[in-house]
Amino acid sequence: MKLVFINLALVLSLFMNSFEDSFINTQETELTIVGNVKSVPTDMDLEQLKSVLKGERLRWDDGSKVVIALMKTDTPIGLTTSKRLFNMTGNQVNKHFLALVFQGKVKAPTFFDSADELEAFVAHTPGAIGVLRKVNDAQLNTILVVKSKSDQD
Amino acid sequence: MRRIDRILVIIISCFFCLSFCNDIVAQKTKIRGFVDVSAFFQDDKLNFGIGEYDLFITSELNDHISFLGETVFKYDPSSSTEFSVGVERVIINYNYKGNHSLLAGKHHTPINYWNDTYHHGRVFFPTIGRPLLFSAHIIPIHTTGLALQGLNLGKLKFGYNLMVGNGIGSNEITDNDKYKSITAAVHIKPLENLQIGASFYNDIISEGVELYGTVLDEQVNQQLYSGSVAYFGNRFEVLAEGTLVNNSTDSEGDVQSFASYLYAGVYIKEKWVPYFRLDYLNFQDGDPYLGNNDTSSIITGLRYEINYLMVIKLEYQYEDRDITGIENRISVQFAIGF
Repeated sequence: MKLVFINLALVLSLFMNSFEDSFINTQETELTIVGNVKSVPTDMDLEQLKSVLKGERLRWDDGSKVVIALMKTDTPIGLTTSKRLFNMTGNQVNKHFLALVFQGKVKAPTFFDSADELEAFVAHTPGAIGVLRKVNDAQLNTILVVKSKSDQD
Repeated sequence: MRRIDRILVIIISCFFCLSFCNDIVAQKTKIRGFVDVSAFFQDDKLNFGIGEYDLFITSELNDHISFLGETVFKYDPSSSTEFSVGVERVIINYNYKGNHSLLAGKHHTPINYWNDTYHHGRVFFPTIGRPLLFSAHIIPIHTTGLALQGLNLGKLKFGYNLMVGNGIGSNEITDNDKYKSITAAVHIKPLENLQIGASFYNDIISEGVELYGTVLDEQVNQQLYSGSVAYFGNRFEVLAEGTLVNNSTDSEGDVQSFASYLYAGVYIKEKWVPYFRLDYLNFQDGDPYLGNNDTSSIITGLRYEINYLMVIKLEYQYEDRDITGIENRISVQFAIGF
């Protein structure tokens, strides 16, 4: 199945609250957002992306379920994802999702040990969106995530 | 059957018929649990204990319907086994569109932030125990019924709960009277990690109902007005909630009580959180079932979060009650999720 890939190259520390600075690694990191072609939109701004990954959106515009795929938070990419996209430590990301599941407000993301497994899961799961460091499939489309107005302020 | 009951039955039937028309997917069931062990020193005596043993199950039945169950095993001196089983939540969730869902079953009444967030998972509690407004029976902790729920809507991430249930005095199977409880709750999240909410609860409690050892000798019209502010960031946490209770009877008229608490904590390192909580309960004479036991309490504590599944808390609590007087207690709790 063809994937739509959204490349994300950001210095996310620019967008972080000053209160949280001590928890942020300021090193620039390139992250790649992967989405199943069936339902995941081909572009979204950073705030929308963060909101989706935090479990705040249950369904895509076509009605299919949002399925979140993440690398385990103790892997290097999982750790970077936690810091850059969640503004949290890996432990805080796990706590965030356990709490939401316990409240009955979201289904837990599927966590992976390997990027290949994550990529295959997203490719075969309608509505799935995930985060990787790089794309292994050269045939894939790439789209830049745009800054939203609130990010630029 | 009254008209509103008929309408509710039709709505439920339609939703579930529609949902079963969707493709069936493989069932995904997960079982988790929460428990804690604790110790406290009071009246020159050290005591050890175990807390609630919470079994938590979720299951996806198809693309739109999921199940959530929370069952608690806890010490009960009246039981022959010294333990009782409490079904705390049984919720069938039908996510019918976007972030909107219909929920049926037994719920924690979404009347305030604490009750709708922490449930029985002590590992999530910012303090060892619940705020005193819970043990003072200020709020109806559970409601069995139907709820419409919306989450994270629009830029303010607006959320709502509209719940109709059996009401106070009922059991899990039948309503004890013709009156339904109504809960309406709304919240917004204007900033990251900040949630501001308000709720309204209305019920008519029938004459003859026994509440916390008191048999009501007349009907009580009850309204609860609650508000909350919660901020849980990476550096500091604040949670403040208040509930105004208006119990109205023919003989006493409107009798109002107020309960509130303020919690605040600061991360001094990633895993260490010193915190405090202030509780304040104020009752008015003549309430039909809430005893007039004005209470104030101060808690100071230290929380160490080993990881998201293991938390240790050490607390000192000073409590001053009008009737039972002053109590001091030092407690420690090790709460886990598994």
